[in-house]
Amino acid sequence: MPKREGGMSDHVIKSMPVYAPIRLDRSGRRHLLLADDVAALPTGLAADLSPDAFDERWLVVRQSQAIPSPDEHARDRPYRSDAHVLQALKWRLTSETMGLRLYAIGKEAFVWSVWNVALSFGLGGREVQLCASPAGPRRVYCNHCRTINEAATTNIVVCAGCRAPLYVRDHFSRRLNAYAGVQVDAEAPGEVPPIEVLYP
Amino acid sequence: MIQTGPLFLRVVAIEPLSPRLKRITLQSAEGGLLPLSQPGAHLTLTLPGPGRGHRNAYSIVSPCDRRDHYQLIIRRAPASRGGSRHVHEVMAVGDVLEAAAPNSQFSIQSQTRKHLMIAGGVGLTPMLSLTSALRARGAHIELHQIAHVDEVAVFEALLAGERNVHIHTGRAKLDLTNLLARQPLGTHLYCCGPQAMMEAARDAAVALGWPETSLHQESFGAAGGAPFILRLARSGLEIAVGEHDTMLEAIEAAGVAAPSLCRGGACGVCLTSVIEGAPEHRDHVLSEAERAEGRKVLPCVSRSTTPYLVLDL
Amino acid sequence: MPITHKADESFRAPFRYANSDAAILRFPFPFPDDRYMYSVNLEPHVRGGPTEAFAAAFDIDEHYISECRERAMVLRQDPNRCLVLPHMMAAQWDTLELLMESLAHDYPEHFSLERAGERWTWTNRLLGLQDRFVFGDEHSLPQAPFEYITRQVQGDFTLQDQRDGTLYMDGGMVTTPADWSLEFDLGMTFHEWHGPVPVAHDIGVFDRALQYLLRLQHGRPVRRLNWTMTVNPRLDTSPENYPIWGPDKATVTPLNVGDKLHLRVELQTLYRLPRSNAILFGIRAYLASLSELARAPKWGRRLHRVLRDLHPDLVAYKGFSRYHQTAIDFLAAFDDGAPTSAGIGPDTDRLKA
Repeated sequence: MPKREGGMSDHVIKSMPVYAPIRLDRSGRRHLLLADDVAALPTGLAADLSPDAFDERWLVVRQSQAIPSPDEHARDRPYRSDAHVLQALKWRLTSETMGLRLYAIGKEAFVWSVWNVALSFGLGGREVQLCASPAGPRRVYCNHCRTINEAATTNIVVCAGCRAPLYVRDHFSRRLNAYAGVQVDAEAPGEVPPIEVLYP
Repeated sequence: MIQTGPLFLRVVAIEPLSPRLKRITLQSAEGGLLPLSQPGAHLTLTLPGPGRGHRNAYSIVSPCDRRDHYQLIIRRAPASRGGSRHVHEVMAVGDVLEAAAPNSQFSIQSQTRKHLMIAGGVGLTPMLSLTSALRARGAHIELHQIAHVDEVAVFEALLAGERNVHIHTGRAKLDLTNLLARQPLGTHLYCCGPQAMMEAARDAAVALGWPETSLHQESFGAAGGAPFILRLARSGLEIAVGEHDTMLEAIEAAGVAAPSLCRGGACGVCLTSVIEGAPEHRDHVLSEAERAEGRKVLPCVSRSTTPYLVLDL
Repeated sequence: MPITHKADESFRAPFRYANSDAAILRFPFPFPDDRYMYSVNLEPHVRGGPTEAFAAAFDIDEHYISECRERAMVLRQDPNRCLVLPHMMAAQWDTLELLMESLAHDYPEHFSLERAGERWTWTNRLLGLQDRFVFGDEHSLPQAPFEYITRQVQGDFTLQDQRDGTLYMDGGMVTTPADWSLEFDLGMTFHEWHGPVPVAHDIGVFDRALQYLLRLQHGRPVRRLNWTMTVNPRLDTSPENYPIWGPDKATVTPLNVGDKLHLRVELQTLYRLPRSNAILFGIRAYLASLSELARAPKWGRRLHRVLRDLHPDLVAYKGFSRYHQTAIDFLAAFDDGAPTSAGIGPDTDRLKA
């Protein structure tokens, strides 16, 4: 694995989120599940946990004619996109009361978007569970020019903003919902290690 | 601010609020400004009594930005060993008392959309400095006070400046489940009062799915404990560790130079072997196995479960 | 003791920096022993310690004016080096009050604070400024309170919010970082922002340090020392500007290592803040070249031994793999194998030529 500044290999960095399949937190009173893809549910939920265990299931279906039921008791709600479901989540959290548990399954960028909405409503770590599934491309924040590079599948990406070849560190910011990228050849300009594909 | 040494405070006013409640006003005995207090802070006063006196913690009820005085409200405890009895029967204007600088273990939680407070009787006292600070920040507050019917007027007067206050004459009048079930997301609960009341509130909240991190109780910190005798095997000394001393302080007071650094149970420098007795561990260094074995102890924070403890010092 | 404040130093190319003999002798040398490993080396912060650098609550030294100028330059080039999340306003005022009171107390010849109720007057004679403002009203100051006062103190500062059983880094003035990014780390928990540090997690250093800091009391601050090495007397070794300073590392040679390679020590202080219950983390950086430090014989010997025997993971993480051996070879000349005393003091009040 390429080393930064002749520096330590990133496999010992402890600043990456670690995910486990979702388990129902029975200390909560109401359970709301969000997923950005129905195909993510089997790996995102613990083996013995059925989607029926949740009071409501909000699913992104990526169809423009999808529409959630107007019935307030509907348990399954389809949404057209990530943006559509996140907007609905903000409205729901405005009127929710203490005792809610929020769960999100999907691409990493999606689940942390859910997290940031929850945080803005005062929910803390005990009230939200995330599972990024499947393991996927990373959003990379260029530490030098602040550009966010979407969907990086390799360990080194060329920054779309300032053109620096960035080593993608195993250091994640929840606030920015991105991994840190720093110039890989800063000390020896031109010496870029071979690029490895991490997420085909 | 670096606090070196205790404060010396002069009693400048004693006001009876009710047959069992007195409000004390204290100023710096040396003149000048007092250290800044904090929301939810308490003052640990040394009140005259046998031996080294009584050290009691009382919440500061005056706004924490006032540096010219501190005010406390002290209830006459029915079976007082001496602390509150002294305040109600002996203390006089002009008395000078020793105190530790204000400390808070009961602070305002940030990132909170609503602050819900439940106070039982004199448990209101830590809430008063919280509400004045929160009001200044424009925060959303709701306060429920449980009071004996004959003290309602006193509490109404103390809370006269607050909006969104509800006074209940007796615990049965407050429907905890109903109250807690309707709180919006991002509410934090602050509780102070009789132990049974605080436990009931906590249990009701947990049953309704509130996470532990949203529940706060005033505990005045957990320092001190039952006194015991310390024997230092190598120096042959026998030292009494009082209920408000730490082992390390007692060792140092006896003239023994024990190594130490952080004085907070985190660095491990003061780690010592236990020859006899069973330590009560309060540190963050020893493993579960080491604690169970009881052969090591950190004297800067830990104590003893047995009347004697023998250390290899 | 009157000191001459150097107004014209430069912490970026072209560099202009040196320590007077007095500055070297007061240096907070970070090694109490001949071997170094991470530990929870927190101790009470009192006025006084092994060298003069520990004498004040917040230390001002001969580089003060130049460092304030350098900070202002960094901020003009990159204003996002000072960021505070909106919910931390009470902590901003706490910080302003703490720093103003401390400086006025410890350096009355340079700083004055007058208070008439909420109307305060702050005088900084070293920078030649005086400001009257209303405590609590951020519009009465030229900048927000945290930025305003930290522009007048040496060293970086961060604000930690205590909630959810941990500390969140929710604000900072970071113009002299040892390669960490305020903007990236803003909002992280204690364990998250320490994530990249090797070895320490495995030996439980961060768990214990966090439990200790959660109980930190107002009026009882603590301190510790941290260290790394920097090529050239450069203060702004930020990830943001790594493309600019990264190439410096390959310029160290056996002939220039003594003057070019600097030991960078952080005297870190942690204060509980009263109104906000937040923790102010002060990161006061000191730079001295290997040649300067080796003028104290004990330090020359000890520095050689510490670097020679340093854990390889620490060498890699602290980023001096490229010149580690060069530094060891240079310092070998100052190590005759004689014993060194415990503790960090130089054991001399006179330096070799």
